[in-house]
Amino acid sequence: MASISFAGATRVYDRAHAPAVDRLDLDVADGEFLVLVGPSGCGKSTSLRMLAGLEEVDEGAIRIGDRDVTDLPPKDRDIAMVFQNYALYPHMTVAENMGFALRLAKVSKAEITRRVTEAATVLDLAAHLDRRPKALSGGQRQRVAMGRAIVRSPQVFLMDEPLSNLDAKLRVQTRTQIAALQRRLGTTTVYVTHDQVEAMTMGDRVAVLRDGVLQQCAPPGELYDRPANAFVAGFIGSPAMNLVTGDAVDGGVRVGTTVLPVPRAQLDRAAGGTGRATVGFRPESLVVGAAGDGLPVAVTLVEQLGSDAYVHGTCGDDAVVLRTASREAPAVGDTVWVAPRADALHVFDPTTGTRVA
Amino acid sequence: MTATLAPPSAPVTPAPRKARRRTKTGKAGPVTYSLLALFALVSVFPLYWTVVAGSHTNAEIAATPPPFLPNATLFENIDAALEQAPLGLAILNSVIVSGAITVGTVLFCTLAGFAFAKLRFRGNGLLLSLVVGTMMVPTQLAVIPLFMMIAELQWVDQLQAVVLPTLVSAFGVFFMRQYLVSALPDELLEAGRVDGASTHRIFFSIVLPVARPAMAVLAMLTFLTAWNEFFWPIIALTAANPTVQVAIANLGSGYVPQRAVIMAGTLLGTLPVLVVFGVLGKQIVGGIMAGAVKG
Repeated sequence: MASISFAGATRVYDRAHAPAVDRLDLDVADGEFLVLVGPSGCGKSTSLRMLAGLEEVDEGAIRIGDRDVTDLPPKDRDIAMVFQNYALYPHMTVAENMGFALRLAKVSKAEITRRVTEAATVLDLAAHLDRRPKALSGGQRQRVAMGRAIVRSPQVFLMDEPLSNLDAKLRVQTRTQIAALQRRLGTTTVYVTHDQVEAMTMGDRVAVLRDGVLQQCAPPGELYDRPANAFVAGFIGSPAMNLVTGDAVDGGVRVGTTVLPVPRAQLDRAAGGTGRATVGFRPESLVVGAAGDGLPVAVTLVEQLGSDAYVHGTCGDDAVVLRTASREAPAVGDTVWVAPRADALHVFDPTTGTRVA
Repeated sequence: MTATLAPPSAPVTPAPRKARRRTKTGKAGPVTYSLLALFALVSVFPLYWTVVAGSHTNAEIAATPPPFLPNATLFENIDAALEQAPLGLAILNSVIVSGAITVGTVLFCTLAGFAFAKLRFRGNGLLLSLVVGTMMVPTQLAVIPLFMMIAELQWVDQLQAVVLPTLVSAFGVFFMRQYLVSALPDELLEAGRVDGASTHRIFFSIVLPVARPAMAVLAMLTFLTAWNEFFWPIIALTAANPTVQVAIANLGSGYVPQRAVIMAGTLLGTLPVLVVFGVLGKQIVGGIMAGAVKG
């Protein structure tokens, strides 16, 4: 068990282009489950591979516990990794796959058998120990990859999109299993995913990356309620937060004919010299009001989800999504008048995207 | 063509195409079998003719129509062949030479192929082009300097003179590289590194098992080439300590070449190759099957 710290860690593939990971500063506490999330190409996998020792660190340092591991090879870092495509050794049985690292570490045969059997029981693989990976289903292979990590009792687990090759139902199931397993073992874990639902449900904290730069690292609730900038606001949450930009006027931000109320102090900081501000509000914080009251939204699409419905529409040039109860959903072509709850407004600087309130 | 012109309700078009393809690949018809049988006959006939010709005299072979069945004279001719040349020694020599060359080539080519395919080092691409480039240099060009070196080492008429120059081949390196580039996922090597394996350990525990099908193919090709090699062995070795091909060249040589004796000797020299094919052929088919199931 150990803490992890990235201190200004940078990875440059090609001098001509921006770094894949740019001065990453990130601390992971002992026993914490940290999720790295972001769109593809944001540097999340590269960060993980730098921590694993599979990718060089061009600048800065990485520490695991008290040790500076920046220049250590993977085998000396006391980590275990689960790969996206599992990377099981095709010619070895499940038991051999799980015991390979222990065999290399010269652990006694009896001890290997004991630990492999124990892990196999936890992962419900005991009946398949003599099989080759080829003879296993996708979910079983995924569990073998997990087992290979567990048997070593490493200081840190690294997981690189371990669920992306599973079908939707199995993914949800395995998601909860991995989270539960991690809490039980208490091993510090760094988990990479592009799926924000995985990020929100599994992580103690979630770090959002974009173009190699860390945007925000916070517990899921905080990330949702107080996104640090417009990018995080738009990335976390499904459907995404509505973001509209309008002129700063007395008492708030004018969008179309409506003025969304924003306190003066925030407005001054957001508008700066441009006189404009970006306002964000989540689909569920919109309240449908009487005609003529609030923002007019011309409905273009209604997604029925059973209990709820997402209503997609346009308000002037901006796309707006709102959530309503399924039975109260308007029809396509209608215009509904909505207003965000005043306490659920997020205000961002329209130029930098930074949150001002 | 029809697919691009078809209306957007596309799912209709792939269905019949799929069905047609299934019948095509699923069952071979009489035409396929006839063609295969013809091909097999043409391939096997030279071997059969060796047996037939080996069991007749020069005159009988030259008669019209020629004989079509072998008989017991074959064994007399084999005895004659064994008397005229040290065929037993030659076969033993060829087994040693071809075996050593095969083991060396497969091992070294897999090592080099792995390095070129998966290890990151400066000059990787340039070195590979140089290796591949050597394939364009004809063997004949190297014969005189090579012989001078062998003579200097006093290895003339010794087996290492034949083995050493061919212990690794540019073709083999390239072949193994191409196979490993596609068959060996990077993640597998990374998993090995995270599991604590050194590069050597990764090679022997992870790369070799994955490379096995290609290694079997390379082994068979190399063994055949080494077994049939004639030009260099006849320069480096003498009739007293020959390989099979060198020994056969000395067979039945008189005023009139004794074809039957030559054929009998050739038959003896071919048998070990058939055995090797029997052993490795299964491996190759196994390799193809494994790939098919995986893909």
